[in-house]
Formats: sequence, structure tokens, C-alpha cells
Amino acid sequence: MKGSKYPLYFAFPALAVFLLFFITPTVIGFYYSFTDWNINADTISFNGLDNYRALFQEPRLLTAFKNTLIFAAAVTVFQNVLGLGLALILNEALKAKNFLRMIFFMPYVISPIVIGYIFRAIYHPSNGIINQALNSVGLGFMAQDWLNDPKFALFSIIVTDLWRVTGFSMVVYLAGLQFISKDLIESSSMDGAHYWQRFRFIVFPLLAASLTVNVLLAMINSMKIFEMVMVLTDGGPGYTTEVFFTYIRNMFSTGQFGYATAVNLMLFVLVTLIGVPVLMGLKKREMEY
Amino acid sequence: MKKIKMVSMLLAVSLALLGLAGCGGNNSQNSKAASGNTANSDTSATETKAKDPVTLSFVIPNTVDTAPFAQLFGEFEQQTGNTVELQALPGGEFDNMMKTRFSTGDFPDLFLMQPGTKQYVKLRADEMLYEWSGDADVWSRIIPSMKEAQTLDGKIYGVPYGATGMYGVFYNKDVFAKAGVEPPKNYADLITIAKKIKATGVTPFYEGVKDGWPAQIFYLTGWVSNVDPAIGDEGVAKLQTNELKMNAIPELKNLFVKHKELIDLGLYQDNVLAGTFDEMQTMLGEGKAAMVFNLDGIVPQLEKKFGKAFVNDKLGFFPFPSDADQGVAVVTPPNQLMIPTQAKHADAAVELVKFMLTQEMTDLYYAAAPGIPIFEKAKVELVPVQQTVKDLMEAGKSQINIQNRLTPVFADFQKLLQIFFIDGDVDKAYNDFAANYEKDGKSKLLEGFK
Repeated sequence: MKGSKYPLYFAFPALAVFLLFFITPTVIGFYYSFTDWNINADTISFNGLDNYRALFQEPRLLTAFKNTLIFAAAVTVFQNVLGLGLALILNEALKAKNFLRMIFFMPYVISPIVIGYIFRAIYHPSNGIINQALNSVGLGFMAQDWLNDPKFALFSIIVTDLWRVTGFSMVVYLAGLQFISKDLIESSSMDGAHYWQRFRFIVFPLLAASLTVNVLLAMINSMKIFEMVMVLTDGGPGYTTEVFFTYIRNMFSTGQFGYATAVNLMLFVLVTLIGVPVLMGLKKREMEY
Repeated sequence: MKKIKMVSMLLAVSLALLGLAGCGGNNSQNSKAASGNTANSDTSATETKAKDPVTLSFVIPNTVDTAPFAQLFGEFEQQTGNTVELQALPGGEFDNMMKTRFSTGDFPDLFLMQPGTKQYVKLRADEMLYEWSGDADVWSRIIPSMKEAQTLDGKIYGVPYGATGMYGVFYNKDVFAKAGVEPPKNYADLITIAKKIKATGVTPFYEGVKDGWPAQIFYLTGWVSNVDPAIGDEGVAKLQTNELKMNAIPELKNLFVKHKELIDLGLYQDNVLAGTFDEMQTMLGEGKAAMVFNLDGIVPQLEKKFGKAFVNDKLGFFPFPSDADQGVAVVTPPNQLMIPTQAKHADAAVELVKFMLTQEMTDLYYAAAPGIPIFEKAKVELVPVQQTVKDLMEAGKSQINIQNRLTPVFADFQKLLQIFFIDGDVDKAYNDFAANYEKDGKSKLLEGFK
């Protein structure tokens, strides 16, 4: 076995690139978050914790924080529940299963910007197909201004993103299901276990690795949501669907680079604070057979 | 040890190579910058084709009609071989996007900017922009007041181009005729007219709240008729230095009250929060909406959708009325053409601007986009709404848009108005408006705001 190992320095060129293009900018960004870097200023100087003090006093950021968490929690939960459900169905011996797998996965490869524009049309209060469909079946009272009513706007963005990403979770779960031995399932059937019992005690525990990947990726990606919000509502109406990245974009575009970098760093801390315990918890329950 | 040495060497070499690659990029950027800086006034419009044709990038807000420019650039290409690529950026975000592009070194060769010298502060003109002050050729046909509007401390960094702009209320004459109403004599009259129109089944006002920026016009056009007479030039000067606070102007608060009245009376379209600029044009053109608070940019858009006859015969204009009279029209100097000194093809861009300033090209421009001209001896056929404003200007019933007179902007105003349309809280909107104005002055590090 010893002979199959490669020397450590093989990794060094890649490490050098990583250092130069990822670690270095991150460290520089960390430094700039403690400066008054502003497009209108001639100089950049250290201003201690001023940016952090300012961001904690910004009510708009609190809204962005709340919306980001609601979005991330809802998408993570439903993406996994729906993805797992679809994977279980499409793992059965269905006639059109390959076609259906492709159909459900397809939204994931379309750009979120394009999806955003399509759903803008779908959600339109008078011309959109949702409200027109509701009207045509006599459910006109349920028609809403899906993107411009603060009560529904975030919900509409969540649903759109779920439509886009559920296929991805489905594929990861399907891959996990392929690795579960058929013998295990068959022998449990012979022992009299019905479908729910087989799922609860055999399939689901053995899908733990897929669950870890799916939950973690869903959580991190949804906390970084940007394009979908930008196209569908641009954080509006007002600031009601503002998320971290739309706020950061706004601060960058007004030239407050030091402050925007501080907000970005807050998001990094937040993702880490949530991501690490979730990862550790999920890792613990992973098992092999 | 030998291994470690080799590893360190490899690492050092790879880092050095990457570092060199970085430096190389920088050098080429610097040399570009240096060549950009050499752009000077001795370049002139040429009628011979360039030896090595270049493609110039021209950045423009998407609220401006690109068709007249495209026509001019076609002529430029024919004469010089140089092509111009148009890049339209969202109007509401244009300033910020340009500032960001500047800060990242992503310079267009030429761009169209809002008028006025406050842009010099935003864009740090003395370091970043080509200076036009001493070029007599450029200013020979531009009317003096327009040159003055662009001059700060004797220097000019932008060439005004196009027509004098206008803000106010555009209306559909057919709808007015059917409702038996005339343009209002004062603000109360405007409400009466709107109610009469509503009674005929037509939406009195359409508002593009979803797009955000259209909703601001109500205040910008309302300001000159209602706030300016109350605070005067002295008040505006105090706002500029933060000696007068925005939320210490009752007449400004009154504009929010007036706006709420329109919302509460149901004088806007259904689904007002979903309103867009595009649908605004459609509704006005089709006679489903009677009036819109907007700017002259809507005229070419309406012409595209409904034809020249509509613009000539069916489109009317009146200023935002004051409580006492018909009010005054808001005018804006035309947008200005600017060239970053570090642009890749700054020389060719200077050549293009001079080409655009020739009599032949300005005539071509006004033929495609008729408007109140800023060039002497310009041939132009005004559409009726422009003639209305020209008459008001000549009668002394016009004022320059407040945002062209102040350096801080009404920051995040469109978002604030979206919230106002939802909650209708006058005090909150008015105070947030004042706070955002101060925040913008502070972020721009302006005197009195820091």
C-alpha cells in the first residue's frame, strides 16, 4: 500500500494557486472590513470596529438577516423532503423513470436569472398563468399579487428556488439509493417488514451520507441566495425580501466597500456558525454496513 | 532535507510565476492608462477610415432611447471604420454601476451621464475624466447657458448632448376629451379631474412602483411647484450643506400627504405595486390610464409603441400644479457625454464626440429624437408636448430639477416609496427620506454631512 502514496509536494502547485486566489483575497478582505474604504475618499484608513458597530445598528440588515434565515431553513427542509420523495418514487421500476429523472433535474441546469424572469411572468398579478388558472377554475379569490405583496413575496421566491434545486437533491439521494444492497431490502421484506418500516429502519439510515451532503449544500447555497431575489423582487417591495447578498450588492454599488466587506464577513461567520454544528451532527449519525 | 528544499523551491517558483503574471497584467493596464491619458484636443473628426478600426464601448442608461445614437454611430462607422457597441445598463442603478465600474478599472470608452457638475464629485473627474474646457470647437454651437451648467471651477468634464429634458404629467387627450376635462388650474383641480376620469371607468393615474424609479417623479416634479417657492435658492443652498434638514420642510411633507391622498382615493391602477414603466406606456397609449407622472423619455417609447401620430395628436403635458396655480415645468439639461482618461480607445472616443457635434449629426439626432435643442441653429421639429414646455420656459414658468441642483441624491427613494405604497405612513416615509439624504451626503464625504 505504501507504494501507492504520492509525495506531498504534488499538491503544492494547487495549494499555491489556492493561497494566491482564495486565501490571500480572504485575508485582504478581512483587513478591509476594518477600514473606511469608500469610493469617494482619497485614502483608506483603519477605523477599528466602526463598520461592525454600524452594521449592528442597521435595521435593514436585520430584515436581511431574518429573510436569509427563513429562506435557508425553508429551502433546506423542503428541498430535502421533496428531493428524497422524488428519489424514492423514481428509484422504483417505473416505465418512464429516466425521462422523469431528467425532467426533474432539468431546472437545476438552467440559470437562476432565466428562471427568475420566467417566474416573474408566471407570478404576474393579471397576466400570469397562476392567477389566470385560479380565475378560470373559479378560485379567483385565491389570486394574489405574488411578488409585490409583502405577505407572499418571500414565499414566492422560496417556491421558485425549490422548483429549481429539488432535482439536485433528488439526484444525490438516487445515487445514495443505488448503493443500498438489494439483498438487505429483500431479506427485510421476507422478514415481514412493510414499506414504511423498510424505509424507516434500513433505507433512511443508510442514506445518511447523502443527507449530509444535501443538507449542507442546500443550507450554504440558500444562505448565499442572490440572483433569484434580484430578478424576482430586487429585495422589494421596499426591503421586505432583502437578503444578505442584495444588501451587500447595494452597499458595494454605493461605494461603501469597507462596510460592505464587513457585512460579507458577517455572512461568512454566520454560515460557519450554522454549518459546522450541522455538519458535525449529521456526520455523527452516518453509518456504514 | 533535500525533499523540503525542493518543495520550497517549487512553491517559490510557482508563486513567483503567478506574481509575475499578476504584475504583467498590471503593467499592461498601466500602459493602457498612459495611452489613454495622451488623448487630447488635437484629435479631430476624420472622414478617412482608420487604419486599424476599433470597437468603442458606449454605456447608456436603459431609460434613454438608443435609436438616435445607433443612427449616429452607423454614420461614424461608415466614415471612420470604427464601430460603437452600445451597452444599456438599468436606469435606476446607472450611477452606482458606473461608479463601481470605475472603481474596478472597467472603463467604457464613452458613456452618457446625467447632467450637471455634481457628477464630477461622484466620478472624481479631475483624476478620471477627459477635460473639454479649452476646446473651442466643442463649445462653438452649444448655447452658453448649457456650457455654464457644466462648468465647475472653470473646468468641464462632460459635453451636453441631446435635448432639454422635462418632467411633469403626461396625459392622453382622448381620455380627457371623453371625460370632458381640461388640464388642471391648481392641485385641487387635478384631484377633481382624476375623480371625473375615474367615473368614466378609466384609471386616472398609472404608477410604475415595481420598477421603482417612476414613482419618484411625483416628488421631483412636485418639488419645483411646491417646495422651491417655499424655500427659495437659499434653502436649496442650505440643503446642499446640510444646514437645512429635509424633514424641516413642511411643503415637502405635504407632497407625501398629497401622494397618500391619491392612493387612498383609489386613483391609481389595480395592482399598483406591480406597475412597470413598460406597462405604464401601454396603459397610457391604449387610453386605459389617463395620466402618468413621468419624464420625456416616455415620448420616444410611446412613439415606438403607438406611432408618431399618437405622440403628435393624442399626447398632452402639463406641469405638476401648485395649490395656487398651474405650477411650473421641471426641466433638465441634457445628459452629458464623458470619456474616462483610462479608456482603451479614449482618442477614438474624443473623435466620436466631435463627430457627433457636427451640424449634420446634430440635425440627424434631432430628426430621430426631437427635443428642445441645445445647439445654435439646430434643425428640429418639436412634438406638441415639447412645444408646451418650450412655451413655459419662455414664459419663465420652468425650473431645473432639484436633483440636478443638489450633490447628495435622494438615496433609496424608490424602495422607500414602495414601502410607502404598502403602509401609507407619511411620517415614516418623510423622516426616512431625510435620513437617507443625510446618509448619502455622509457616504459621499460631503462638507456638512461628514
